[in-house]
Formats: sequence, C-alpha cells, structure tokens
Amino acid sequence: MGIVSALGIGIEANRSALLAKRSGIGQARWLQSRLTERLPLGEVPFSNDALWSAAGLQQHQPAGRQVLLALHAMKAALGGIKAADIDPQMGFINATSVGGMSDVENIYSNLIDPAKPILNNELGDSLDCSQGTESLARIFGLKSYITTISTACSSSANAIMYAARLISNGLIDSAVCGGTDTLARFTLNGFNSLKNVDAQPCRPFDENRNGLNLGEGAAYLVLESEQQLKRSGRQPLALLSGFCNYNEAFHPTAPSPEGLGALAAMQGAIKKAGLHPDDISYVNAHGTATLNNDIAEAMALQKLFGENMPAFSSTKCYTGHTLAAAGAIEAVFSVLNLQEDEIYPVLNFGQPIAAAPVVPVTEVHTGKGLKHILSNSFGFGGNNASLLFSKV
Amino acid sequence: MKDIIYMKSASAVCAQDIFRKDTIPDTLATTGNNVLNLLEPDYRQYFSIMQLRRMSKLTKAGLVTAIEALRQSGIEKPEAIITGTGKGSLTDTEKFLKSIDEFEEGTLNPSPFIQSTYNSLNGLIGLHHDVDCYNTTYVHRGFSLEHAILDAILQIREHQISNALVGSFEEITTQHFTIKHKLGYWRKEKVAPESLFNTDASGSIAGEGTFFFTLSAAPENSLAEIRGLRLLFEPDHEAVAAAMKSLLTENQLTIEDVDVVVSGRNGDNRFDHYYDALESVSLNHTHITTFKNISGEFDTASGFALWMAASILKNQEIHPQALYRKGTTSTFRHLLIYNHFYGEQHALYLLKK
Repeated sequence: MGIVSALGIGIEANRSALLAKRSGIGQARWLQSRLTERLPLGEVPFSNDALWSAAGLQQHQPAGRQVLLALHAMKAALGGIKAADIDPQMGFINATSVGGMSDVENIYSNLIDPAKPILNNELGDSLDCSQGTESLARIFGLKSYITTISTACSSSANAIMYAARLISNGLIDSAVCGGTDTLARFTLNGFNSLKNVDAQPCRPFDENRNGLNLGEGAAYLVLESEQQLKRSGRQPLALLSGFCNYNEAFHPTAPSPEGLGALAAMQGAIKKAGLHPDDISYVNAHGTATLNNDIAEAMALQKLFGENMPAFSSTKCYTGHTLAAAGAIEAVFSVLNLQEDEIYPVLNFGQPIAAAPVVPVTEVHTGKGLKHILSNSFGFGGNNASLLFSKV
Repeated sequence: MKDIIYMKSASAVCAQDIFRKDTIPDTLATTGNNVLNLLEPDYRQYFSIMQLRRMSKLTKAGLVTAIEALRQSGIEKPEAIITGTGKGSLTDTEKFLKSIDEFEEGTLNPSPFIQSTYNSLNGLIGLHHDVDCYNTTYVHRGFSLEHAILDAILQIREHQISNALVGSFEEITTQHFTIKHKLGYWRKEKVAPESLFNTDASGSIAGEGTFFFTLSAAPENSLAEIRGLRLLFEPDHEAVAAAMKSLLTENQLTIEDVDVVVSGRNGDNRFDHYYDALESVSLNHTHITTFKNISGEFDTASGFALWMAASILKNQEIHPQALYRKGTTSTFRHLLIYNHFYGEQHALYLLKK
C-alpha cells in the first residue's frame, strides 16, 4: 500500500504524524483560491514540480496534480512487488471526485475560447475522471481491467469493493485500487456553498463541531487472491474480510438523521465477513465533523454496538476530508492499525454530541490486540460504504 | 456454464425519437452542425413544474429514462442502481465554474455543484423510487457503461442481487463541443450524419443521450440474453480478435453463428481500422450495422448500441440507415457489439435472442 496526504508522502511520514497527534491541516500554499485566507486545508505540502522530481521517473511529466499525487502512492503500493512479478493481468480500479479539475479550472476560459489553441492536450482533456487513471495505467504498464469510480466521498471505498469483486469472481487475480483527489476551487466553493466548511480545524464528533476541512491526497492498495498469494509466497498485510455499499434514499446531500444508511452499510460489511458486531475492535469513522454526518454516524454506531461500543475515531482532523481519496487513505490507516496494533486519536475533541453521546478515542492507544477494523466512507446522494479489515 | 443474464427492458432518450418506443423511426433526425442533440421528452406527465425547475437537462432526461426502464420491466424496486457516465451533468459543472468566477468565490448557489456530482442522478433515481440499495457510478469514458453492466452481472452471479437497473447518461454542451473540437474529436468540416462513412477525414460527429436497462437472473419476458462482455484497454488488432474468439468459444459458438455485428464505427479515419479488421473476418451471411451515424459519438454511445441490439433481436428488423453491409441471414439470434472510444477503451458484447 502507498499513501500521500497533508501529513506527507509515504507510510512513515503519515504514521509518525498520527502518533505525534500532529495535524496536516493549515494554510494552503498551492491552491489558487481567495478562500484559503480564511479556510484551513489539508494540502499536500509540495508543489507539482517538487512532486514530479521526487517521483524519480524517467519519462515526460504527466499533466495534472491528481496524477502527481497518485503516482507516489501507486509506486509505493506496487513497490512491494518486484517488476518481474507484476501480474500482467493486474486490474486498476481508481477513484476521483473531480478528476483533473484543479488544473482545468485554471485554464478553463482558454479551453472554451474557440480562438485560442489548447497548449497541452493531455490537460485539456482532463475535465473528466478517466484521463488521470489512464496516465497512471500507462506509467505503470497496467493493461487489464481499468476503470474509475466517482460516488463523491465514498468513491475509493467503492473502488476497493469493486476490485475485490473482480478478484473474487475470478476475472483477475490482483488489482491495485484506491483513489486520488486534489484541492480545487470548484470543490472548495462547492462545500463552502453548502455551508459545511469550518474556518477552524475540524472537531469530529464534538457537540460544537462546525463543519469539515477539505484535504487532498491519494492512496492505493494492492489486493490479491488467495491463490495468487500462494503462488508468490508473499505475506499479506491484512485481509479485506467484508464490505458493503448501501445507498440510502433520503436526501441529495444529507444522511437520514438516524443514520440508517450508515448502519446498514456497517451491518452488511460485518455480515459479509461472517462476524458479529462484538468482534469489531475499532472503527475508523467517516467523521467529517459536519453537523449532519457526525450525528447520523454516531446514532448508527449506537444502534449497531449498543453498550459494547468499540474504540472509534476519525482521522479527517489530520488529513482533511480528501473526498474520493478518503476511503483508500483510511483503508491504509486501518491496515496500519492492525499491523502496528495502535489507534490514532481524534483531535480538537471537547464534549460529546448531546443527542448521541459517544466518545471517540482522544489519545494514542497501543497493544489492544486489534483484530477487526471497520472503515466508513459516506457520500452525497446517500452513498454509504463500509470496509472491514481483519488481522491475518 | 455461468449463469445467463437477461435484459428485461431497454429505455432511451437520444437524438432520435425512440423514447418509449422499441424501433428507430423511418425518418431520422439529422444535423448540419456536427452535433446530434437529444430530443427532450414531454416531462409534464412525470414531474411537477417545481420539480422540473430544480432539475437540469441531463438529470431530467436520465431520470425519465430510468423510470421507463423500470416500468417496462415490471420491477418496482431494483436491487442495485449502477450507472456510467463520461462527463456527468456538464451543464451544472459549467454553471458552477462560471459562478465561481462571476461572484469571485462569494456566496454561491450550491445546486449546480450538487448536480454536477457524477453520482447525483443515481441518488435521485433511488429517491424517486424510494429504494435503498447498492448504488455506484463508473466514470471512465468508453468503459463507463461497461463496468456498470459488469458490476451488475457479477452481483447477479454471486446471488447478491437478482436484478439491477443499469444505465448511462451523457450530454454535449456548446462549451464542451468547443473543447473537444479543439482536441480533434469532431470533424473539421460539416458533415451530414448520413454521409459520415462516405467521407475520409479525422473526427466524428457529436451526440448525447441516456440509456437505461434492467438486468435480471429471471428469463421471463426478457428482450435478450447478455452472454458475455470483454473489455480491452488500448489493444492491438490481434488482442481484439482474440477477445472476440474467446467470447464466442466460451459460449460454444464460432464466427459462423454471428448473425449481426453492431459496429461502433464513427467515421474517424484514425481509428476505424479496428472496425475494418473485425468486420473483415465476419462471414457473408452476417449483417454489419452501425449506429453512430444515428446517435452521434459520445463516451457512453454504447448505450445506443445495446438499445439497438435489443430492438434488432426483438423485432428481427434492421433499420436501413443502420445497415452497413447486408448479410444473407434472415433470422437474428446471436449479435456481437464491438465499440471503442477513440482507440482507448474497447468493448465487445455478445447478446442472444
């Protein structure tokens, strides 16, 4: 697996920040937006050129920040496999919410002016989610099942789920899957127009939470079938034991206040794994710190676990809400939780939500013997996705 | 043998008058400006004026197409809603981009932002039919609808679900036509759709449309069987030929069994060689048909191909303007669709009556 977030490039940079309770959210440097003055963001702390030179690849620089973020995470994910061992049939299931928008929005007036030529065809064609996926596929020589999913904030959780489905049906033996999203004026203004962006660092599951902080990043995981593992002799990092997508028909952007969609998604993932709610050691919650999400998710957690509430927290107070990348970034954190037997706490927590008082983990926990971890990603349109990772 | 997947209904809104119909009309809509715009149905019987005001062009068209696909199939509550789109609601994306500039990132109306989200139509279909279920959106040009269908097929085979609503939606706007024109997607000279294949040039003509289908494990009242699907990324001719062969072999068929080929030929002389190669191995009795001279080209134009395939198998008729090379057979049992989007995403479907 590989990861790029506001906490830095790579597993170690991310893990050490989480253990030190050091957030990556702050003043953005690279996003060209008037809103950066008053809205803190989880920006990856490198320019496009710095990202490209750090990648150390000998080819022409691909267009678009989404690709530059993604290629670091993909390179690391595939890095654990020797080039000769990469399955030529490996699938690539990507996710993004707005594709190349962060670059396209800066040249859009030129693009739509019939009199002006397009200077970079690759960039000109990236008002689209697939352009970046295909650039990455060409860089890494992936030719088999390739596609892109966009279901807003649950996109990469759905990508991981679909990759698992292609593997379990025997269409492919392995897949690299995850997502990438960049900060863009388009999305920042979108969430700002919905009045759910906090001007302060976000406070997941706090009574006085006031919205999310947007972030950017990318994360990818390599999934392999059991047979493929036997052939290669590689050791798995974790088992993707369950997953569920459950779309709730309630409202175009808000969950039902009781969190019925979130509940059904978590229950579905637990059922698919053949487990019981009591088996869950920890929940990496969606926990965006918006008014609507956190109360719905807290109620869903209460309904699912009752008195036996497992440890839970949200890592969005470190990375910001990275939208389509969030599911994959938090999948990487979930695998780290299992590998290192440690839980990363929420930041900025004061008092629990009065209407659904559940208390997240606020200090680093280690040595709890974590076995099964739920990771939630909920999006617009009522799209709820839960992934379940188990220790192997 | 793997479970057979049945197509129970096919519903479409596109440039041609085929909404709530199962054949292409004798007289086709044409264009003089290289773009075939969709023909808007009469929405008043579906939505109130207030509802209509809130929805953008593609959202309305997509929603009624989905409603009709479900109505025709008799499935009230689908067990999965899976869609594909290349660009989603471009009108909303453009509107929101414009408002960001115009109001200098001030107080903006969130509606275009919400509707520009690629899965917003999925959410609305769920809301309209009051169904909570599996719901996802593939956004990968010529693989968008294909992965939606594949996802549904796999879940039906896994017995996770017994039916699914799958579909695609795509629009072309003035701004996006300009961008793609500059990128070389469209013909530089004006060409009538009916002359698309008689002129040797790069580019095609633009189209738009939305297509919804219900897929089911149950054979009753089905339009066609989907016997298989192959997806190839930037393949060579040999890989396409091998995929076709394996698709047929998997179904104990040979090239002789193919009665109709639906070819995604779009008149672009940079990429039509793929179709030439596949058509050249088709036998004399096989009818070769085209559809992009009827629908125009767009990311999810294969939706029209699937709709037309269902129509051909059901009615045992081929529209004269769809006929590219007449074959000798008069019964249509096995139909092969081959489509690619500008050489990148290639898809082969095998359908059976």
